[in-house]
Amino acid sequence: MKRKSLRFYFRIYRKILAQDIKSKMSYRADFIISTIGMIFTNVAGFISFWILFRRFPSINGWSYHEMLFLYGFSLVSLTPVQCLFDNNWSLRQYVYTGDFIKYCFRPINLFFYFQSEVFDIKGLGQFAFGIGTLVYSWNKIGLDFTPLILLKVIVFLITASLIMIALQNAAAATCFWIQNSFYVLDLVYRFRDYAKYPITIFNPVFKFIFTFVIPIAFIAYYPSLVILRPDDIPLLSWLSPLFGLVFFWLSYKFWMHGALKYNGTGS
Amino acid sequence: MANIIEIKNITKEFKVLNRREGLIGSFKDLFSRNYKTVRAVDNISMTVGQGEIVGYLGPNGAGKSTTIKMMTGVLEPTSGEILVGGNVPYKNRTKNAQEIGVVFGQRSQLWWALPLIESFKILRDIYQIPEQNYKSMLELYQSLVDIEPLLHKPVRQMSLGQRTLSDILAAFLHDPKIVFLDEPTIGLDVSMKSKIRTLIHALNKEKNTTVILTTHDMGDVDALCRRIVIIDKGKMLYDNDIEHLKGFFGSYRTLKIRVDGDLKEQSGVIQGELPDMKVSADDEWISVLVDEDKAKVIDVLGQIQKSRSVRDMKLEEISTEEVIRKIYEEGVK
Ligand SMILES: Nc1ncnc2c1ncn2[C@@H]1O[C@H](COP(=O)(O)OP(=O)(O)OP(=O)(O)O)[C@@H](O)[C@H]1O
Ligand SMILES: [Mg+2]
Repeated sequence: MKRKSLRFYFRIYRKILAQDIKSKMSYRADFIISTIGMIFTNVAGFISFWILFRRFPSINGWSYHEMLFLYGFSLVSLTPVQCLFDNNWSLRQYVYTGDFIKYCFRPINLFFYFQSEVFDIKGLGQFAFGIGTLVYSWNKIGLDFTPLILLKVIVFLITASLIMIALQNAAAATCFWIQNSFYVLDLVYRFRDYAKYPITIFNPVFKFIFTFVIPIAFIAYYPSLVILRPDDIPLLSWLSPLFGLVFFWLSYKFWMHGALKYNGTGS
Repeated sequence: MANIIEIKNITKEFKVLNRREGLIGSFKDLFSRNYKTVRAVDNISMTVGQGEIVGYLGPNGAGKSTTIKMMTGVLEPTSGEILVGGNVPYKNRTKNAQEIGVVFGQRSQLWWALPLIESFKILRDIYQIPEQNYKSMLELYQSLVDIEPLLHKPVRQMSLGQRTLSDILAAFLHDPKIVFLDEPTIGLDVSMKSKIRTLIHALNKEKNTTVILTTHDMGDVDALCRRIVIIDKGKMLYDNDIEHLKGFFGSYRTLKIRVDGDLKEQSGVIQGELPDMKVSADDEWISVLVDEDKAKVIDVLGQIQKSRSVRDMKLEEISTEEVIRKIYEEGVK
């Protein structure tokens, strides 16, 4: 049997996705309520941001609109993890009850098969909010708009997404070894809230942690420096795409390693 | 007959934490971990030919599911060798998966929210089933069971029996060489059980699919398996035809009779006349266990009739259920 191509996986994903959305839409009340909930969450997030920062013309050299840019950037870059990798939240439960075994019997990549099962549509609302915020702050800051900048934005958005996905994969995969892995996942989830602030506002200890230990600074801060501070880009910003790829790959390996050593509890 | 499964001396050990009791105990567990080894499968060997249906039996905790997990590539044996369709399952998990189908009773592998037909279509893509084969398989299903009402129902809304049926159909869809069924009839009513047995039987005949079946229901065994393999505490007890197994216990048959008078009392008298045989009575029948190697049933009946008239009688073979129970309780002599 030949190796399965990317196209093969893409087609399967599209099929599952289409079916999943169709079946979700058929529960209209459910769909409407979760959509409303999603809008409220985003509006509330935005309002608290606004209350916190509107009174300061700038913080550590970051203007209100630049902060807003960062905020939008983080919202958009968190979309893929929200939409495509949401099943990571249930991994723990599957492993604990032994139901995880059902993912082991298909002739396709285990990680792909597991993640393909859930698509969280609510993430799309966050995406819309994020894009809106980005465009608004882009105008207010008065940034140029050239194809090159657009390319940069896209590359760094992907980078940021990869890092967030990697963090979540790694956190979720801890359940293959420890039982109370929910706290690990929750911790990472909470930390990612800090991703939307410029790292310079934190004290040096946290700065170090957020750069090298739980690298959430790569989610929005380092990438957006490339757009916002084009004259003074630290090396870490340029390295972040590479960092994102490597980190994603490592988290994938870690996840798969856990899944393969999983010894099928339950009968 | 070519062997599709070859297992040589496989053993599987699990390391489990010896948990200490109480709060202080669990605190100690944090620092010094005290493991013990559980040998779930102990040095088992067997071969299975293409097209066989093998009943894989054993009491709870015998190691049946563990063996199946090793054959499907989910678990790596601690030692020994397994070849399934020429693959080492654990090393070539995805390749092996293409060749096999698996059903774990009560754990559906279908997409929970999707109607069965949509699950089938996704499986068709995953297993890259040629359109022709897919269509003819659906037609075959159509002819064997009434799948029409199931096809458009989300799996989530199905009853346990419908779901199990769907899972079995899904497992056979890509025409695998082997299908592993781990307790497929658990929790099902008699009519669904019989439907599922008929289905498995027909698919095995039609497609020459090898089936490895674990169950605690001897009805499944009687309906489907000629060969059975019995394990207990991880060790192989028996591997042969089921008829041969019954022979292990001598050729016993039970003669049941009804006579006038109090059955309990009469059975005592008959026991006196037939000291070599085991005679017992319940509310309806007096049972005489006849070892056919020693005496003919007809002679025994004749002897009983000498001193009384028999109003009614019937003859019972020893059932698979009884044989298996004996083996679980006493082992193979
Ligand atoms: N993941 C595991 N970790 C530790 N021990 C296990 C694990 N899986 C199974 N065991 C142990 O191995 C033994 C065999 O279990 P297995 O599930 O294979 O039994 P079984 O024959 O399928 O039983 P049943 O008929 O009850 O399903 C049991 O003692 C069980 O406790
Ligand atoms: Mg079992």
